[in-house]
Amino acid sequence: MSITRRKFLSTSASGALVASLAGLPKVALAQATTPVRALTLYSRAQAANPQQYQAAELIAQVWSDLGLDVTVSGLPQNQLSDVVWYNRDSWDVTMWQMVGRPERSDPDEFVMNLFHSQNIEVGYNFVGYNNPEYDRVAEAQRLEMDREARKALIYQAQEIINQDQPYLFLVYPTKSYAFDKTVFDAATMVNQPGLGIKNFLSFTNVQPLGDQKDLIMNTANELNAINPYYISGAGDSWMTELIWDRIMRIGEDGLPKPSGAESVTWNDEGTLATITMREGMTFHDGEPVRVEDLMFSLQSPQQAGVAPMYKPFVDPIVALEKIDDRTFTLELAQPNAAFETSTLAKLNIIPEHIWGPLLANLSEGESAEAVLEESRVGSGPFKFNRWNQSEVVLDAVADHFAAPKVERLIMRVVLNVEAALGMLRSGELNFLTDYTGDPQLLIDAAAADGDIEVVDVTDIGFQYLAFNCRRAPFDDPAFRRALSFAVNRRLITGAAYNGFGRPANSHVSPALPFWYDAATEEVPMGMDVVTAMLEDAGYSIVDGALHYPAGVSEQY
Amino acid sequence: MKYVLSRLFYSILVLWIVGTILFFMFRLMPGSPLAAFIDQTTTLEQQQALIARFGLDKSLFEQYLIFIQNVLQGDLGQSFFHRRPVTDVVMEALPNTVILTMSGLVVAYVFGVLAGAYLAWRRGTTVEGIGIPLALATRAAPEFWLGMVLLAFFSFHLGWFPAGGANTVGLSYDSEWERIFTLDYLRHLALPVLTLAIYLQGLPLLLMRSNMIEILQEEFVTMGKMKGLSSRTIVLNHAARNAMLPVATAFALGVGSAIGGNVVVETIFSWPGIGRLLVNAVSASDYPLAQGAFLIITAVLIAMNFIADMTYHLLDPRIRLAASN
Repeated sequence: MSITRRKFLSTSASGALVASLAGLPKVALAQATTPVRALTLYSRAQAANPQQYQAAELIAQVWSDLGLDVTVSGLPQNQLSDVVWYNRDSWDVTMWQMVGRPERSDPDEFVMNLFHSQNIEVGYNFVGYNNPEYDRVAEAQRLEMDREARKALIYQAQEIINQDQPYLFLVYPTKSYAFDKTVFDAATMVNQPGLGIKNFLSFTNVQPLGDQKDLIMNTANELNAINPYYISGAGDSWMTELIWDRIMRIGEDGLPKPSGAESVTWNDEGTLATITMREGMTFHDGEPVRVEDLMFSLQSPQQAGVAPMYKPFVDPIVALEKIDDRTFTLELAQPNAAFETSTLAKLNIIPEHIWGPLLANLSEGESAEAVLEESRVGSGPFKFNRWNQSEVVLDAVADHFAAPKVERLIMRVVLNVEAALGMLRSGELNFLTDYTGDPQLLIDAAAADGDIEVVDVTDIGFQYLAFNCRRAPFDDPAFRRALSFAVNRRLITGAAYNGFGRPANSHVSPALPFWYDAATEEVPMGMDVVTAMLEDAGYSIVDGALHYPAGVSEQY
Repeated sequence: MKYVLSRLFYSILVLWIVGTILFFMFRLMPGSPLAAFIDQTTTLEQQQALIARFGLDKSLFEQYLIFIQNVLQGDLGQSFFHRRPVTDVVMEALPNTVILTMSGLVVAYVFGVLAGAYLAWRRGTTVEGIGIPLALATRAAPEFWLGMVLLAFFSFHLGWFPAGGANTVGLSYDSEWERIFTLDYLRHLALPVLTLAIYLQGLPLLLMRSNMIEILQEEFVTMGKMKGLSSRTIVLNHAARNAMLPVATAFALGVGSAIGGNVVVETIFSWPGIGRLLVNAVSASDYPLAQGAFLIITAVLIAMNFIADMTYHLLDPRIRLAASN
């Protein structure tokens, strides 16, 4: 908590490292070696993400002690994305983050998308990590329907990444939420792994204690749209999640459970699901939910251009067939262990009687994202009431199968994080669901107030530094390992993240205890280890600059 | 009449130049509007579809021609992110901004003019010794700091005013008029207006004071004194009217610049106005929204400038005469 930058630098790797650099070979003079070029480490701008920028500066300091010339460059989000995401050959190292989402409570999305070679050109594998062995394991885990066998594969994937270090994982941040315990019964809040108390189950379960029957939460970002075919932002997603039902929902244990469906059963091969819908569901306009609506919800995004953001999730479906008025079957081309989480718990149940005609009337090149359906009719536990620039108001649906105990759910747009904290204390908010300020301030405010309860959770997402594996010297796993292990995660967590996080070394978060391989925590530490790694890989220091192994040079 | 027409022509010319600069500026800025979508699982085809939908696959000049053609028809395009017409998005936020800005300006200028005149009249006294440094200090204080201090004191500590937004959480109104003309709205408006007014009062105060000091030395003031007029009549009826000319111009220009410059106040108090919209649009490379919002602000600024010119005419007969000659 009280580790300062100065203290970090004096106690961390760097100090010990300089002393031990003498241990590096002083170059085999017989064969000339070339120095590693000056490197730029990108980060979000300091004002926008001070923790990330601070971590970048600390890392640059440690690396410069290794003989590298590193400059930290802070950029606004869209410029950073432009460089890193759209010009994938142009950068060396960058700070980045992956955020936690309900559907990420299955490790498949991170395991498959982040490092599979098929995503190198345009997908999530922006670091260009290419390892056929990893591809094989990632594909196998998706096909494996036996949980224990799949767990072994997920462990294996984590081991490979630990060996190759395409990312320098830093921290799984701690996210803080708070609510007024005089307004809500604390025992009825549900703490979901990786997501904390801001989740569907809390919103429907939480019991008001007194006259205040409105749940008033906050978002720090403006809303763009509330549309069941459009994933337009974090705050927006919460509204769609509550207005529209889903066939399955992520349960308290992080696993998908039938929700709009009464049951979802699979054949032995894991390719055919029989889905029976729940009885007696109705849309907010009074129309009954029919099995055709469920099928329409899975079918409509399959058409090209209708819902580009949802299409990838329905692409694995090859056939849908109605069995009776409550049952249909869904066929996949091949088994997909993550399908329930990534698709059935993600897609909204959309009324065909409203959206069928709207989709039929789409003009050339237009998608469902641009359609403004003002009534926003779903069948979820909350019904859309109104939305303006300040807030979204949803009304509880009393006859829903998961009927909320609160009367209304209001999401207030509060851009000023300190004001949000003040509003929680004054009662203008009673559930702080988006807090990006100093966690210590929140803890202090709760202690001073007495009515506020703070709940922390380790995130499914993580903060990290990405190496561009396409470019020398980062194409050398041994070099990446050495650079990665030169950075002490525990000290970074303390110095840059004020201790509000857990040191990281895997793309599967400990927030998912079943899938998390704790063995990845045992990283080789100490500067003698790092110098030995560089030495073994043939690197050397010449006049204080790190040189490539003999015979290796770069073309930049 | 000729004068009015020529001013009008120049106003339109300036608007066109600004519109053109805005158009090219946003497109030459680093960063792609797609960047905001990358956290989704977008494939190459989807990215290309997005580019085509936004019209970004056409040449820059072609895009420019379409832009000008649409603007002439009053169509500012569709926001990339809100997926709604820019005019709708901007018009939703504009009333709140106009009310905040106008209230802040009126409070600042009424106070500034009166205090400026008073301080000029009391030149060399202790009142001036305290008043001027105080005005300068508040003028120099950063807006966000001022806002946070007011928020911490009046809202968090005393609990007199709400901490943010334009209306109490969850209250609904039948119409926009009904929403605005409520005590609740005024309570929410108070702190943002106070912040803005404290921040803005320095200019009219100092301007008024220096003009007054100059005018109080004019012969007609001495004449007034000799005629036995009361100090009050001299200051308010004779000197102040003359000293107010530059203040009137500053006010008119202040309206335009304050509409776009309220980002800080709007962010601190979560005030749903156009400044917030603008920051989001620029950071997300939402070209149509950003250029549309800026264009509207420019139009307001130019219109205000035009009105200032006309007001000058009314206030000062000499200008009226010069123009007609």
